Amino acid sequence: MTAHLDPGAGPPDEYVEAEIHRLLTEDPAVAEQGITVVRTERGLTLYGEVESAHRRDEILRRVAGRFPDLPITSDIGVIRTQAPTEIEQLP
Amino acid sequence: MVIRIAAVGDVHLDEDVVGRFRPALEELPGRADVLLLAGDLTRHGTEAEARCVAREFGGLGVPVIAVLGNHDHQCDQVPQVVGALEEAGITVLEGDGVVLDCAGGRLGVAGVKGFGGGFAGRCASDFGEPEMKAFVRTTTESADRLSAALRSLDCDMLVALTHYAPVPDTLAGEPLEIYPFLGCYQLGQAIDAAPTALALHGHAHHGSERGVTPGGVRVRNVAHPVIKQAYSIFYLGDHLDQAQVSSVGAGGTQQPWS
Repeated sequence: MTAHLDPGAGPPDEYVEAEIHRLLTEDPAVAEQGITVVRTERGLTLYGEVESAHRRDEILRRVAGRFPDLPITSDIGVIRTQAPTEIEQLP
Repeated sequence: MVIRIAAVGDVHLDEDVVGRFRPALEELPGRADVLLLAGDLTRHGTEAEARCVAREFGGLGVPVIAVLGNHDHQCDQVPQVVGALEEAGITVLEGDGVVLDCAGGRLGVAGVKGFGGGFAGRCASDFGEPEMKAFVRTTTESADRLSAALRSLDCDMLVALTHYAPVPDTLAGEPLEIYPFLGCYQLGQAIDAAPTALALHGHAHHGSERGVTPGGVRVRNVAHPVIKQAYSIFYLGDHLDQAQVSSVGAGGTQQPWS
């Protein structure tokens, strides 16, 4: 038996996830390859770390703009840039 | 003899990031002999972004040596990117190397961007469609250039610098499905074919810090999202205490600044 998609149901979640992944990389305003998209019962959550608060905000803005009906949560952090306090010795 | 190496990759600079690294970078003189940049210095590989890298990483008081990453190729402006970096005194390696006279000896650094392809038993092969053959030949040609560069350097301590990973160990944390896009075993083979002391790479943002080649060369993933600090510092030397090294846990380094 072949299962058919309900034309009114929208794309399956996996395709949405794939599209978001490609958007994050290929949109010149984002260009991030290190963001993870996780599907939950309440929508999608974006995880990862970026180099500035501006980039974090822009990711959420772009994804929300592309999928206005999808509940999206961002848990993206900005990577610290402090000097190291420890070294690693390699004999 | 100790040679002190600072390293970071995947800093992805643009105007919005300029100045974030600089306070930590200003501490480098006196703490490291050289700073190595493991690719993905920019977001899209534009000349304007490269000038941001030049402002942030130029004029540090220590030599800065870089390879480019895949992001640095995005806008097909590689000559302009390299030019902007070199104007700031940053040496860019691609299939070649340099030898630096450090207080602890002569440090040789051979660098190449590298490419994907996968790892032993789970890799792409030079077979089938022209596109697949071109992919794998890009991998092998890059590794061959690294091998030749490593073996050409006359130095006391030899370091390999790449963007793509030479081993799967430092990819732990990434989805297995994308390993072939993150590195290739041929880079590890090149590293093992020379008396390499340390291999540094970036690219794998969700990977892990430490690994080793099949030939026993230490590999470190210095991607900024992995190390979570402005740079890591490694002391390379033949008189360092092995017991201290074996005490290193999975989570961090062991030697506080003295």
